[in-house]
Amino acid sequence: MLGYIAKRTALILPVVLGVCVIVFVLIHLIPGDPAMVMLGQDASPEEVARLRSAMGLDRPLAVQLGSFLLRLAHGDLGVSIFQGEPVSRLVLKQLPATCELAVASMLIAVLIAVPLGVISAVKQHSLVDVASMGFAQLGVSMPVFWLGVLLILNFSLRWGLLPSVGRGKPFLEGLAVLLRTGDYLPLADSLRHLTMPALTLGLTTAALITRMVRSSMLEVLHQDYVRTARAKGAPERAVIYRHALRNALLPVVTIVGMQFGALLGGAVVTETVFAWPGIGRLAITAISQRDFPLVQGCVLVVALVFSLLNLAVDVSYTLIDPRVRHGIAQRQ
Amino acid sequence: MRKNKLVLATALVLVLVTMAGCRGSSSGPSAPASEPRQELRVGLDVDAGTADPRLARDTSARRVVDLVFNGLVWLDPELKPQPALATSWRQIDPTTWEFTLREGVKFHDGSELTAEDVKYTYDTLLDPAFKAPYRSLYAPIKEVIALDKYHVRFVLSQPYAPLLSYLDMGIVPRAAAQAAGDSFGTKPIGTGPFKLVKWEKNNRIEFEAFPDYWGGVPKLEKVTFLIIPDNTVRAAALEAGDVDLIHSPLSAQDIPRLQANPKLKVEKTNALGFTYVSFNCADPILKDVRVRRALAHLIDKKTISSTIYQGMDTPGKSPLVPAMWAYSDEIKDPEYDPARAREFLAQAGWKDTDGDGVLDRGGKKLTISLKTHSEDPNRIQVVEFLQNEFRKAGIEATVETTEWPTFRDAVQKGDYQLAVLGWLALVDPDRAMYNQFHSRGASNDGKYSNPRVDELLEKGRATTDIEERKKIYREAAQIVVDEVAYAVILYQGYVVAYNQKVSGFQIHPNASFASLARVTIK
Repeated sequence: MLGYIAKRTALILPVVLGVCVIVFVLIHLIPGDPAMVMLGQDASPEEVARLRSAMGLDRPLAVQLGSFLLRLAHGDLGVSIFQGEPVSRLVLKQLPATCELAVASMLIAVLIAVPLGVISAVKQHSLVDVASMGFAQLGVSMPVFWLGVLLILNFSLRWGLLPSVGRGKPFLEGLAVLLRTGDYLPLADSLRHLTMPALTLGLTTAALITRMVRSSMLEVLHQDYVRTARAKGAPERAVIYRHALRNALLPVVTIVGMQFGALLGGAVVTETVFAWPGIGRLAITAISQRDFPLVQGCVLVVALVFSLLNLAVDVSYTLIDPRVRHGIAQRQ
Repeated sequence: MRKNKLVLATALVLVLVTMAGCRGSSSGPSAPASEPRQELRVGLDVDAGTADPRLARDTSARRVVDLVFNGLVWLDPELKPQPALATSWRQIDPTTWEFTLREGVKFHDGSELTAEDVKYTYDTLLDPAFKAPYRSLYAPIKEVIALDKYHVRFVLSQPYAPLLSYLDMGIVPRAAAQAAGDSFGTKPIGTGPFKLVKWEKNNRIEFEAFPDYWGGVPKLEKVTFLIIPDNTVRAAALEAGDVDLIHSPLSAQDIPRLQANPKLKVEKTNALGFTYVSFNCADPILKDVRVRRALAHLIDKKTISSTIYQGMDTPGKSPLVPAMWAYSDEIKDPEYDPARAREFLAQAGWKDTDGDGVLDRGGKKLTISLKTHSEDPNRIQVVEFLQNEFRKAGIEATVETTEWPTFRDAVQKGDYQLAVLGWLALVDPDRAMYNQFHSRGASNDGKYSNPRVDELLEKGRATTDIEERKKIYREAAQIVVDEVAYAVILYQGYVVAYNQKVSGFQIHPNASFASLARVTIK
C-alpha cells in the first residue's frame, strides 16, 4: 500500500513538470508580450522592442525555458512582472480564498447530491426521482454567471439578506475569533459573504454528482448481493447505506475528486461575478497581461493540487473498496 | 444516526450565525445612529496595476494616484491647469519653465516636499530603464533643475505647449521612493488627501484620511476601493448599498434602472476619449483613399450610439472630443450613405462584374477584415454591426476578435485592415493627434502620412497661444477626417452613479477622483 502511494507520488513530478513546460511554450507562442502590455498604446514599436530585449524576452525560447526550469529547480518561481512581488507569495495569498470557496461548495454539493441521488435511485420513477432529475438537468445546463446574478438580485437587492460581492473575513480567522473570544460577528461576516458564491458553485456541482450517485446506485441495487442482504433480513436502511451505497461510491468519489480539483483550479466565472479574490482571477489577469512568471506559478500550483487530489482519490478507492486494495497487493 | 444529528446541529449553528450577522450588520454595531460614518466604498472594475504615479497605466491606478498624490498642477473640469504643489509658474523662454513650490507641504511619512523631490520624480520617469508607460509624453523635457528648496526649472529640448497639461502627475518623495525601490508601487507615500493603508490584491484597497494634508483634512475618514469586475454586478452592489459609488465602464442597459432609483444619483459628462476605426493606410486595398472614404460612409454612427451604447457614448466626428478646448462642431465627417459608398468603390474600380453580389476588381473579390479585442462586449457588437453593413454593400467582410495583447500586437505590427479600439485621457489635442497621425508618431499604427498634417502637429506643439492652437488642430483634424486615417465612431461618455447620501462629488471628464477630498456622507 505504502509502496503504491510512493509510486504514485513519484509520478506527480513528471506530470507537473510536463504541464509547466507545455504552458510555458504555449503562453510564449501566442502573440503579445508583457513589454507591449506594460508600455501601453502610446509606446512606439522601437520602445517595445528595447524593453523586450531588456527583459530577456528576445532570447530563443529554449534558452528562456532552460533558465525557467533552472530557477524552478531552486524553488524560485520568480517575480510577477506587473505586481513586482514574488510569485509564490502572490499565489499563496490567493490560495486560501480559493480553498475556502471550493471546500464550502463541495460540502454543499455532496450534502445535496448524495441523499438526493440515493432517494431517486431507491424510489426510481417516483415523483421525487423526476423532481431531482429535473433539478439535475437544470443545474447542469444553467450558466453559472446567470445563477450568480440571479442570487445577487434576490438575496442582496430584493431581500437585502446577504452582501452582493467580495470576501469577508477569512473563515478560519472568524472561527478562531469565535472560539477564542465568543464574538460571532467575524464568522458571520465570513459566512454571509461565502453563502452565495458557494451556493452558486455548490448547486451546479450538486446537479452533476446527483446524476452520478443515482445511476451508480441503480446499478448496484440490482446486484445479487443486495438481494442477498435483503433476503437475509437486513433492515432496508442497512441494505441501502451499508451494502449498496458503499459499493456505489467508487465512481462518485472519482467525479467528486475531479470536480474538487476543478473548483480549486479556480472557478473563474464565479470568482468574477462575486468579486471573489481567488486564484482563477489571478491566473486570468496574469494571462491577459502576459505576466509569464505569474501564469507559470498559478499553473504549477493548480497542476500540483490536481495531481495530489487525483492521488487522494485513488488512495480512497482502496479504503472504500477492498477489491482494489487486494488488487494492488496482488500486483505488487 | 448520531452523526446525522451532529451534521444537522452544525448546519443550524452556521445558519443562525449567518442570520445573526445579517441583523448585526444592518443595524451597524459600532456606528451611532445620529452621525453617519464618514466612509466611502467605491466599486472599481479592475485592480490597480500599481500605486506609483510614474508607472500608472490603467484607470484604476490613476484613481489610486488621485487620492494618494498631488502633481505640480491639477486639471480642473475644463482641463485648465490650476495650482497644486506648485503655487505659480512662468515661462521664461519657449523652452524654459520655472515653478514655485508650495511651502510646508508634508508627505505621508512626515517629510517635507522640496524641489529635489520634483527633480527626482521626473528624472526617474524619463529614465528608459524605469519603464514608465507614458515616458514619451514627457520626452521633450531635457532637464529638471532644483534651483533651491522651493524653485524648480524645466528645460525643454523644443517648445512643447502641452507640457502643463501633463504636469498633474504625482510627485514622489525621493528618500522614501529610493529606499522602497520596487515596493514603492504597493506602499506609496505621497502628499495627497488619503494614505493607502491596506491593499488586498484583486479584492480591496483601503485609504485613510491624511490629517496633515496641505489642502485641509478630508471629511471622509476612510475610502475603500472594492474590485468588482462584472459591470452588472457592480451596479447591483450599488443598488444593494454594498458600495456607495461606481463609474464607467458600465453596461448601457443598467443605466436607466440606476437613474430610476430614488436612492441614487447618476451623473454623466463627456469623457476625454473616443472609440474609432483605425484604417491601415499601408494595406494594398486601403491605401486608396476612395476605398477608405467608401468604408467610412458605411459606418452608421447614430445607430451604433443609440442601439449598442444606448446613448451613453455619442456619435463622433474627429479626434478632437467635446470635452477638449480645441473641440469644434464644424468639422465635417463622412456621413452614413451606402449609395455614396458604392460610388466611391466604383471609382476605385470595385464593381460586381460576375453578379455574385460581391464587388471585385481584376478577378479579386473585395475582402476586408475587421479586428477588435474581446474584453469590450460593445466593441464586439460594433465590428459585427459593421460586418453586416459592409456585406450589404457587396464587401466580403470578416471579423476577428482576440484578447487585448494579441490584438494590440497585430495592430502594432500593421497586421490588420480595420481595427476598432479607443483612446483615453486625451487632456490635450497633442495627446490625441501627434503620436497617432504624425508620420513619425509612436502610435501611428496605420502608417498614415501627410506632410501638411506633420507640419501642423509640429506647429501645434510649439505654439503657446491657445486660439492659434485651436485653429491648427482643427485644420489637422479636418484633414485626417477627410483622408480617413481614423473613423471616429463615438465620443465616449463618462458616467458616475452614487448613493444620494454622498455629497460634494464633482464629476470630471478625466474620471479624476480628486474631489473625494471634499466629499462628505450625509
